[in-house]
Amino acid sequence: MANVLDLRRRIRSVKNTRQITKAMKMVSAAKLRRAQERAMLARPYAQMLTNVLESLVRRTDLYGGESGDVMHPLLVEREEKNVLVIVVAGDKGFAGAFNSNITKAAQNFIDARRAMGQNVDVEPVGRKARDLFRKRYPTAVYDKTEEHYDNDLSTHYETIRRRSAPVEVLGEHQTLLLKLDIAEVSAMSHSIVERYERAEIDSVYVVYNEFKSVISQRLVVEKLLPIRKLGSHEITASEEMSEEQKEAAARAAKTAGISVNEPEESVVEAEAKKFGTAEVDYIFDQSPARLFKHLMPRYVTTQIFHAFLESVAAEHAARMTAMDSATNNAGDMIDALSLTMNRVRQAAITKEIIEIVSGAAAL
Amino acid sequence: MAETVNNSGLLTVRLVTPDRVLADVTAEAVELPSMSGYMEALYGHAPLLAELGAGEVRLHGGTSGDQKFFVAWGFVEVLPERVTILAETAMHPNEIDKAEAQQELQAGEKMWHEAGDNGEQYDAANALTRQAEEKLASAEGRST
Repeated sequence: MANVLDLRRRIRSVKNTRQITKAMKMVSAAKLRRAQERAMLARPYAQMLTNVLESLVRRTDLYGGESGDVMHPLLVEREEKNVLVIVVAGDKGFAGAFNSNITKAAQNFIDARRAMGQNVDVEPVGRKARDLFRKRYPTAVYDKTEEHYDNDLSTHYETIRRRSAPVEVLGEHQTLLLKLDIAEVSAMSHSIVERYERAEIDSVYVVYNEFKSVISQRLVVEKLLPIRKLGSHEITASEEMSEEQKEAAARAAKTAGISVNEPEESVVEAEAKKFGTAEVDYIFDQSPARLFKHLMPRYVTTQIFHAFLESVAAEHAARMTAMDSATNNAGDMIDALSLTMNRVRQAAITKEIIEIVSGAAAL
Repeated sequence: MAETVNNSGLLTVRLVTPDRVLADVTAEAVELPSMSGYMEALYGHAPLLAELGAGEVRLHGGTSGDQKFFVAWGFVEVLPERVTILAETAMHPNEIDKAEAQQELQAGEKMWHEAGDNGEQYDAANALTRQAEEKLASAEGRST
């Protein structure tokens, strides 16, 4: 049986751990609050962009050819042979099952697609996803061909994808989520759009954690391209939080002072919904077709940006919940250890008294 | 729309970026850098949708005085009493990092030289160069 000194040492160590987890929880709560705010601030732009697109789609001059379809490369549906999946995980651990849930869902998706005989490209975002998929699958290789013309004045570049395995990893987005910057997201989405237009990939999916509030989150697989309906999220698979998780999250949120309700719509957001939808004939400074062409890639960018913002908020919420449980567990452990320690101490005292008493009786 | 009409003769101007709402003010007149050149919107302008290029949005009059913002690519919706600017990049001229703009300018020129016969590359290079030039001009307060 452990002696009192050992137990005291253990209690002290658990107390230290509890302090650390408690601090981490509060830090995550503060970060969550900021992430939520950011997600709110990004909404008007996304809403307005969608509105402009919608009002443009209603105009007939975008419809071309005999099929009467809207003409844009991002709306073209092809048979899904090569699929791109963007996996949005976190950059750090200590967030409970957050990262493993995401990678598991992504793996399921990849396996299902492989079973259908499709090739899959994985574009991991966040260090955790990147480390895992880099280890599992080979990296995609591009060849850059260079052609010189006779006069040597112009050079022609062409990038050709050489596929060596059915599942390949591409892209390096390790620190993207730590400091979410629209310019970087835009660069990423441009590259995706370009690959789609080149028909290197036939569809694009994102696996991420959707975040409405602390107690309303779900893991979703969302189809990004081809765009079927503007302004809506096409979810192909989702995994809700369990009741147990919800309770834990609600408890953590309460002690950290975070509201569990969805934030209310701001005035700007409400007005953003009206953007570009006034029942008037707008004068178009540029041709609607041209506007439409420039808008579509931006729309994809905002969709990806939205997924990232939500995932970041979800990650902080997951870490906050995990750290809250850890703090509670540490508390329980301290209680149990204190009880054992008191028992051991009492046993020692009792033993000594018995020794004295029996010694005196023997005299 | 009756509830949003004001009779003050002032435009409500809102500048929105992907990150946040940068400005929500009133103004008598707004100068906008549309793709086809600068234009000015006053109270009562006919409804208009335009694509923005790179340049400065200038607000005149209004409660918060004259203000300038550098914007690069976006959209603007003009309604008789309201102007909403949707900009991919927007900042105060004094927030511009000149060294960075200079670098962008060089990157744009380099891209232009390397574009070869790729038309899209040329367009992208031109857009980048123009944006960098406008950025520098705006930072130095000599934007036309």
